[in-house]
Amino acid sequence: MVDIASLIIQQSINGIVMGCLYVMVALGLTLIYGVMNQINFAHADFVTLGAFASYFFVKWMGGGYLISILVAFLAGGVLGYIINLTIFAPLRDRGDELRPLIATIGASILLENGSLLFFGPVPYQYDTPYADAIRIGKIFFTEQSLLVVLVASAAIAALYAFMKFTFTGKALRAISQDRETAGLMGINQAFLIMLTIVIASAMAGMAGAMLGPILVLTPFAGASVVVKAFAIVIIGGFGNMEGTIIAGLLVGLIEAFTTQYLGSGVIDLVVFGLLLVMLLVRPTGLIAEKKEENV
Amino acid sequence: MSNQASQKSSFPRWVWFALVFAAIAVIPMLVGGSAYWKSILISIVLNIMLAMSLNLILGYTGQLHLGHSGFFGVGAYATTLLIQKAGFNFWIAMVASSMMAGVIGILLAFFATRLKGHYLAIASMAFAVILHQILLNWDSMTSGPLGIYGIAPPPAMTIFGKLIKFNDQVNLFYLVSIFAVLVYIFLDNILRSPIGETLRAVREDEVSAASLGINTKLWKIFSFGVGAAIAGLAGSFYPSFVGTLVPDSFAVVESFTYLAMVIVGGMGTMIGPVIGAIVLTLLPEVLRDIGDARLLVYGITLTLVILFMPGGIVQGFKSLISKKTSTTSSSN
Amino acid sequence: MSTNIKSNKVVIRLIVITKRKFGEVMQKNLKSLCRLLPFIAVGLMGFTQVAQSQEKVIRIGLLYPISGPGSYFGVMGREGTDLAIEQLNKTGVNGYKFVVDYQDSQCSPLAATNVVKKTLENFKPHIVVGEECSDATLAVAPILEEAKVPLLNAGSATMKLTGSGYKYAFRIFPNARQQTDSFAVNAIRKMNAKTAVLLYEKTNAGIDISDSFEKTFTLLGGKVVSRIDFGRDVNDFTSIATRIASLGPVDVILTSALEGQTVKIAQALAQAGVVKGGGGKAVQIGTIWLPWGFDQKAGKSALGYTRIVQFDPNETRPMVQNFVKAYKAKYGADKVPTHINAHAYDTIMIIAEAVRKGAKDSESIRSEMLKMKDVEVTTGKITFGEDGQNQNMSVIHFVETQPDLSWKTLNW
Repeated sequence: MVDIASLIIQQSINGIVMGCLYVMVALGLTLIYGVMNQINFAHADFVTLGAFASYFFVKWMGGGYLISILVAFLAGGVLGYIINLTIFAPLRDRGDELRPLIATIGASILLENGSLLFFGPVPYQYDTPYADAIRIGKIFFTEQSLLVVLVASAAIAALYAFMKFTFTGKALRAISQDRETAGLMGINQAFLIMLTIVIASAMAGMAGAMLGPILVLTPFAGASVVVKAFAIVIIGGFGNMEGTIIAGLLVGLIEAFTTQYLGSGVIDLVVFGLLLVMLLVRPTGLIAEKKEENV
Repeated sequence: MSNQASQKSSFPRWVWFALVFAAIAVIPMLVGGSAYWKSILISIVLNIMLAMSLNLILGYTGQLHLGHSGFFGVGAYATTLLIQKAGFNFWIAMVASSMMAGVIGILLAFFATRLKGHYLAIASMAFAVILHQILLNWDSMTSGPLGIYGIAPPPAMTIFGKLIKFNDQVNLFYLVSIFAVLVYIFLDNILRSPIGETLRAVREDEVSAASLGINTKLWKIFSFGVGAAIAGLAGSFYPSFVGTLVPDSFAVVESFTYLAMVIVGGMGTMIGPVIGAIVLTLLPEVLRDIGDARLLVYGITLTLVILFMPGGIVQGFKSLISKKTSTTSSSN
Repeated sequence: MSTNIKSNKVVIRLIVITKRKFGEVMQKNLKSLCRLLPFIAVGLMGFTQVAQSQEKVIRIGLLYPISGPGSYFGVMGREGTDLAIEQLNKTGVNGYKFVVDYQDSQCSPLAATNVVKKTLENFKPHIVVGEECSDATLAVAPILEEAKVPLLNAGSATMKLTGSGYKYAFRIFPNARQQTDSFAVNAIRKMNAKTAVLLYEKTNAGIDISDSFEKTFTLLGGKVVSRIDFGRDVNDFTSIATRIASLGPVDVILTSALEGQTVKIAQALAQAGVVKGGGGKAVQIGTIWLPWGFDQKAGKSALGYTRIVQFDPNETRPMVQNFVKAYKAKYGADKVPTHINAHAYDTIMIIAEAVRKGAKDSESIRSEMLKMKDVEVTTGKITFGEDGQNQNMSVIHFVETQPDLSWKTLNW
């Protein structure tokens, strides 16, 4: 029997690595909701397409893996721009919050099955050059997971700084807190909203590039991650960055420890059970900062 | 939203029902002996019931409910398990599981209805995921992913001295159609009554409705309860129709299908979900010969409809009519 | 499905006339009338008919998951089938040509039930081949049994298919017990294994295989230390690998999952230092699920992986080599056929063999198949037992992955 201390540390590491990935996906969702009050169901597919973009960049163009992360970032951004152009922007002024949501559901089905037609159902083998494991005593982690933590932390830090210190970032926060007043202040909302979704989708794409080697790469790869991302966004508090980060890491840890002691089959039950409990007890999320008119 | 009472056709209602009954009686003969098309017909009727019940919650009460597959699953599994493990008779099991689904709907509503819009959507989706996981993991009860096989159809009935067996799909079709029509009449009556006005008020503007003294929470719970019970009722016919029961038939993604039916047909109208269910059940079958592209076309259809014709097919017809009858000013 | 154009035209003209006659009244009630259109549309569907050809053909219905998450199997199955049909129809067999009808059963019982009824009515096959997923196969078996059309399966492991008394269900794929019995025995005797961990996907197939392995293994004195299951949507196996590592030293790890997940499992186990490929002592063992090429994908973590393969493209048997050559010629020189391709190919060849012996309809195909003894196909030799299950164990070959990722045949 392996000693309990190492086991706990090991599973914690596992949990934090996955948690970082979840945070990257969830942050995009939270950002979109915070600024635009919308949910993009196709976010999952941006993750998948980011992964594919990165894969093909490496395989066909022989590019480096690290650069492919950037490629995926850009790909995600472009996708975000398109979906804003076709769905969110045209429907925004009509004040109907359901229609864009449903449109994104349609877009998601479209993207998944279009990808299925295009890429086929056979999983793609995405090998990362960073697959080797680093061992410290009884603990191990792969170079890839180290990379994930580094890139995720850098991205989160960058986003955070952007939101807190730059003018654009502050404008975004203004819009998310009180749209009408922000409008009165002469901020170009349309542009900023477009920027938001581009950034959020770019992060999703980047998460895809890092998930590509970890997940079984099929057109449905992103879907498996995003349902949990939704749960994370709510647990952390819709529109709340700090909450999302904490919730993301928490969910990653829950997954690792549930697998250890209960079995992976019940992970979804536990996570969604937690979600429902949060909704019951504290619907504004772990850290309620945003002024909620909704609840 | 359109008040259909004000645009009544000059045909009295009973003529409509006669026509519908005639159509139902005749349709199985139109598809000849094809067991395949008979199955599709039964699927259509079940989907009509699911779409109508979702429409009550979404179209008329304005609650974005993404977890309808859960209620359907409760109906299906509860019926099967009550029959197989507790020895209940089909009809009693059907009523019991429908009520069970209704109660679960009430519980979900009770705690989810203080949430609005997107929160409710995600919470209802979480409910559907949890239910699916329960079906998957509660091995001792549901056999999990292994599924339950060899489910028998409802027991034969004797009507006017004739024995009617339900392994004959035509008879099964008539049976579920009768229930579907009853459900339609039931919902139609509710929605034409003051209850309907109340629900519409909740949908349009909850705050104003509350200020008028409407107990919005109660009415939302009512919608969910009734909608869930109907979904559960549809669910009780599902296992004997397919013969096998697996949890994956009730995955969250099915909820999106029902949502699409309501939207594409025209939410907030009585006939909308019926049309939506028929179209979206037939479309993948008709397109089946195109092969892999059918799900893609499905997604395209949903996106285009919601973007450009959000009132669905019903809205499309109405604008067609108002264009044709140029003397009438535009409706809606 | 070809449409009977004449009847459709008649119907359409009837509707037009009716409309004209009741023009004014209809105009007023157009909206109401529109409500009937859905019903009329459904009625029109009923007029669709199928033209039946009268030449000497054997009709083979094929149920494969072509869309959805199971489409991995369907794509490969189709390749194998198309190749076989192409070869056979060059000369025909006994004067018969083969016609196939593909239906997308999506690995799901409901879809499979629908399309099997559709093909039974419209295409009227003499025999049906399919499905890949146990759930779907079990759903269609009773329907084909009632229609007295043989079902030939080459992909499902579930015991229930040939163990339920169906007279028309046949399978050339080893069932769960056949796969695991020899494995359990060899694990104890040849590999000196005393402890095992069962790692499997939570499906009919995964559970059946793990159950039957456990039974035989414990009967012979082995101990199953842990059973760990997971869903098909699990991607990251680091936590599971950690859990296995925490169990202490284990001799064998029986892994039952599809290729995509098994690659991840192997890599995770190596990273955790559990299996030989990662410096540990445990050996992964597995049944038939993994095609040739798995080892290349998993890399050095596959070292020592010992498993049953059903199809070995390196086998020198002429039948195997011809198949590989033909496959490469049709699909690309850089592709190697997998066991899914081979199985699909074999099912058609079995049917052809029955026709060669004189079968021409469902009943005679069935009786010829029951008579088959040691019929050679790419995956081995086939002899059907009375329950429709292939009894000849030549379809089971044991291999072990070498450091250079090639296979060493173990003569167990």
